[in-house]
Amino acid sequence: MSGPGLERRYRRVLRLLPGYYRDAWEEDMVAAFLDSWLTGDPEVDAAVLTFCRPSWGEIASVAGLGVRLYLGGAGTPRRYFAWGQAVRRAVLAVMLVHAVLGLNVLVRTAWSRRLFGLPAPPASLLAVTPSGVWPTVFHVVNVAWIVIFVTLALGHYRTARLLAALAIIPGLAALLQAQFTGIMPAPFGPWAWWVLFSLAPVAAMTAFHTGAPPAARWSWLLALPTGYLLVIVPLLVAQATGNLAWVPDFSGQCCLLVALACLAHAPRAWSRQAVGSGVWSLTLALLAAVAGAYRIVTLTGYAHDPHLITVSLAELIILVAAAALVAPDAARAQTATPAPPYRGTIAA
Amino acid sequence: MTGQAFFVLTALAGGPRHGYGIVGEVADLSQGRVELKIGSLYGVLDRLAAGGLIEPDREEPHDGRLRRYYRLTRDGRRALAEEAEVHAAAARVVRARLGLTGPAAAGAGG
Repeated sequence: MSGPGLERRYRRVLRLLPGYYRDAWEEDMVAAFLDSWLTGDPEVDAAVLTFCRPSWGEIASVAGLGVRLYLGGAGTPRRYFAWGQAVRRAVLAVMLVHAVLGLNVLVRTAWSRRLFGLPAPPASLLAVTPSGVWPTVFHVVNVAWIVIFVTLALGHYRTARLLAALAIIPGLAALLQAQFTGIMPAPFGPWAWWVLFSLAPVAAMTAFHTGAPPAARWSWLLALPTGYLLVIVPLLVAQATGNLAWVPDFSGQCCLLVALACLAHAPRAWSRQAVGSGVWSLTLALLAAVAGAYRIVTLTGYAHDPHLITVSLAELIILVAAAALVAPDAARAQTATPAPPYRGTIAA
Repeated sequence: MTGQAFFVLTALAGGPRHGYGIVGEVADLSQGRVELKIGSLYGVLDRLAAGGLIEPDREEPHDGRLRRYYRLTRDGRRALAEEAEVHAAAARVVRARLGLTGPAAAGAGG
């Protein structure tokens, strides 16, 4: 790395960008950066080149460009496009989980109030009407995830990002309050939930940039009622019939659901003719990592219950075994998934 | 088309420019409302080039470095004209709604 200090510092910042992009644009970007400083006065310029540093705003703009390139969209190399698509689908899947849980809140509230002429629910399914500020806020946030998921699936990325960023704030506030008042129910589990299922996916929403191809909106929207019927309704039946003890905890449910999805996808992943299966395999591998991490962290809450530890470890093994089935296809996806070209009218 | 891309294309409609020249021209054209960071500029240039709307024009040595100049392509010129028409149509609707159309309104406004 040659040149005066300022040039070296800019080149260091540009290392945030993928190599293919630097090969094409680095020299030009460095020239533009330096042009923005140089005055034409040799003495001033010598001081500038020696002592000045890239501003935080410039570093942030390069970092933002880096995120967009690593989580690629149209016109990017296969590896980055595959990662971009996988992250976008994983985010949609996590938002779907939130939305299904939100739908459950809505349905149980409506059922408990016997809206639309519904019969009275069993006592075990009665939803408690939120009272007080925090319960009301969480009630609203739970329902807001439905709006966020639908907004994201329909392609209104900016709105979805804004709403999601607002939606995770009450959770953080409650966690901080519980932490500092000493009423945290478990040492790490609630934090893991917030980090893995709120903060990380909301941060990963940056993958939904203008170069990202639109999601298969109707398939995702249809997944909301389908997910409710296939996951929540059996859980409600188990609860109403007094069989809830057989149901795994939430992190166990996540492990088993991702494992089932991996098993369902495995035949496609192993069939070399299946076009585009690799991105789904990569998506499932990401989701397996999230579910596995959550399972491991929540194990700490069962330190005094060997039976639950055994069950949790079994769930983890099932998840890892199922994820291993799609892992080779996920690895192949990085070289086998061409990005669509830019449309003629796409600009930025 | 985003506002940044629109202004970059407009800056190049006046003739080929290098990276930092585009930043300055965009600031002038937008009367300081659009302040392009270099990272954002190259994100836009990359996509415009990939979309065939701009292309490299030439490289010129400057202070021991090569400045690369960019120019509009024919597709870029057409896309910019279409976008300008969209903006103009929207502006006409707004002016009509506000009762600012016609010679009297023009006289009152100017």
